[in-house]
Amino acid sequence: MLLEVRDLHVEFRTRDGVARAVNGVSYQVDAGETLAILGESGSGKSVTAQAVMGILDMPPGRITGGEVIFQGRDLLKLKEAERRKVRGAGMAMIFQDALSSLNPVIPVGDQLGEMFVVHRGMSWRDARARAVELMDRVRIPAARERVRQYPHQFSGGMRQRIMIAMAIALEPALIIADEPTTALDVTVQAQVMDLLAELQREYRMGLVLITHDLGVVADVADRIAVMYAGRIVESAPVYDIYKAPAHPYTRGLLDSVPRLDQKGQELYAIKGLPPNLTRIPPGCAFHPRCPLARGLCRVDEPSLFEVSATRGSACHFWRECLDG
Amino acid sequence: MAELSKKDEPVDATPNVSEVAEIDAHSEEEAVAAIEAPVERGEPILQVRNLVKHFPLTQGILFKKQVGAVKAVDGVSFDLYQGETLGIVGESGCGKSTVAKLLMNLERATAGEIFYKGQDITRLSGRALKAVRRNIQMVFQDPYTSLNPRMTVGDIIGEPFDIHPEVAPKGDRRKRVQELLDVVGLNPEYINRYPHQFSGGQRQRIGIARGLALNPEIIICDEPVSALDVSVQAQVINLMERLQDEFNLSYIFIAHDLSIVRHISDRVGVMYLGKVAEIGTDVQIYDHPTHPYTQALLSAVPVPDPESREGRERIILTGDVPSPANPPSGCRFRTRCWKAQDKCATEVPLLAVPERFKGSDSPAAHESACHFAEEKDVVHAA
Repeated sequence: MLLEVRDLHVEFRTRDGVARAVNGVSYQVDAGETLAILGESGSGKSVTAQAVMGILDMPPGRITGGEVIFQGRDLLKLKEAERRKVRGAGMAMIFQDALSSLNPVIPVGDQLGEMFVVHRGMSWRDARARAVELMDRVRIPAARERVRQYPHQFSGGMRQRIMIAMAIALEPALIIADEPTTALDVTVQAQVMDLLAELQREYRMGLVLITHDLGVVADVADRIAVMYAGRIVESAPVYDIYKAPAHPYTRGLLDSVPRLDQKGQELYAIKGLPPNLTRIPPGCAFHPRCPLARGLCRVDEPSLFEVSATRGSACHFWRECLDG
Repeated sequence: MAELSKKDEPVDATPNVSEVAEIDAHSEEEAVAAIEAPVERGEPILQVRNLVKHFPLTQGILFKKQVGAVKAVDGVSFDLYQGETLGIVGESGCGKSTVAKLLMNLERATAGEIFYKGQDITRLSGRALKAVRRNIQMVFQDPYTSLNPRMTVGDIIGEPFDIHPEVAPKGDRRKRVQELLDVVGLNPEYINRYPHQFSGGQRQRIGIARGLALNPEIIICDEPVSALDVSVQAQVINLMERLQDEFNLSYIFIAHDLSIVRHISDRVGVMYLGKVAEIGTDVQIYDHPTHPYTQALLSAVPVPDPESREGRERIILTGDVPSPANPPSGCRFRTRCWKAQDKCATEVPLLAVPERFKGSDSPAAHESACHFAEEKDVVHAA
């Protein structure tokens, strides 16, 4: 197993009290596998990724429990200096907003080259040559000329390619991509997702894809973990989940998305709003919005029940949900 | 850059003004009367002809001289029928939001006409313009920045009544605002709350209530749900559909999400670099697209069904959208089009039913601005 997250808990101190952003998240990613983490804003999907990557702002954030086992070592027990070596070389991250993730006053070639100078001890001359190779690799036209340009001289899609080049520079075993195509137009999104999938195959990297887009997930993921209020509520292979979701929240999400290939009737809408993380409802966090909720759901927090050898659902009535 | 302004080519696609019921407004009175007259369901309520908006690019500090123009909207024509939803889709920079601003008269058009019930609103002023503005309202994309954080919800929704007091007399206003809150599914007791006390979806409901306040006939929605989460998006879309039936509204629905646009629209126009590439009913555009850009756009949308991974044709376009300050000659899509030939560089394709489909009753027979229009299904798996 490449990465195993076990029972991760993260809290934030806010003026309203303690926000419990991540409440016992566990997942695994193998080499060459794509795990999609699906969730709406405030579900804890990005915070989980930041904790795994070791870039969580602490304070106000605090990891209150759990383990992050990466290539056999618990990253949470490492010193910051060692952690830093893992970042970039072992695992790398791609962010949503490439413009604010790149330094605006440094040429992109130098930002790419810096990876080799810092992690590999290369000379700047060699590092720049590698930067050109990388830009070629992510199919940026005229890489040799553009290596000296600044981020603002690139289009959104090209900037995201540079972010991908940076992420694969040191050939990491794992990439975490946090909404990598959300800011891009749909034709550019297709180009970028294609590139990412191709590179992943080539280097046999594990990929954790964080997104709210059910379409992108269906296209590229092997497995899906659906998050709600800081917990994984359903985890399953991609084909299973779209065929028959085993959690009412997943079902609600799938039913509320309009289809491109047919004109549907009225959309299903999940009633209410996601909970405030400082006041997560007792029992199952989804019960105030759930069509299947009963007395049990208000008092007993469901664990991730085993639906099959490869599937789990955190719903007391998953059988009912599975049957539709 | 200097030669840019010279080759400002004349606007193509001759306007079809003849069919517009032109009422020569000699006096303001007549114009106002025309604007307040009702329109039958299914009749055109808004007719856009050859609309152009160029933003000048200037150089120099003291003596500014124009060195070119960003051709944000460059000859757009379409009709909006009473009671329907016209979707406008396109990628960033295609000019769809500028069209919205022009329809609202928030930007002055460089050329072209917008006929609202036969009155060209780009030339109106005074009382007539005020009457038009009452009837065309807008809902904005970002519910966080489009509501004044220092005003209560009651003041935000009631503000339109300050400008149009004839709609709700002073004493009636509070009651009217509470009714509006109720209509959009918010608790009428929230009238004294401030925007920060609401979630994104609730704020968008406030924006919709403000849009409804003056009983408009047309609502222009610019990306009204793109800032919302999936589960909340569905709530707002359903609300908008309900309100359309209840108040007999016509919508122009601008968005980049093609699935949502299909869901809500009766007809859809696809824009690329300031021009309409293709326009037709939702079935014509989504199931029988004939313009290569529409086909590429649709094929790039991931469908939430892993079974369709195989079997669906993917057209991956190369390159980026060219700059609207310096669009390609001829067909604007030709630099990214796999069908492009010499003709495409020299001749601007007109938005019309392609010659080969003329007189045919096939769904492919709809307006498409391509020299080599050809039907291709890219949405459904083979």
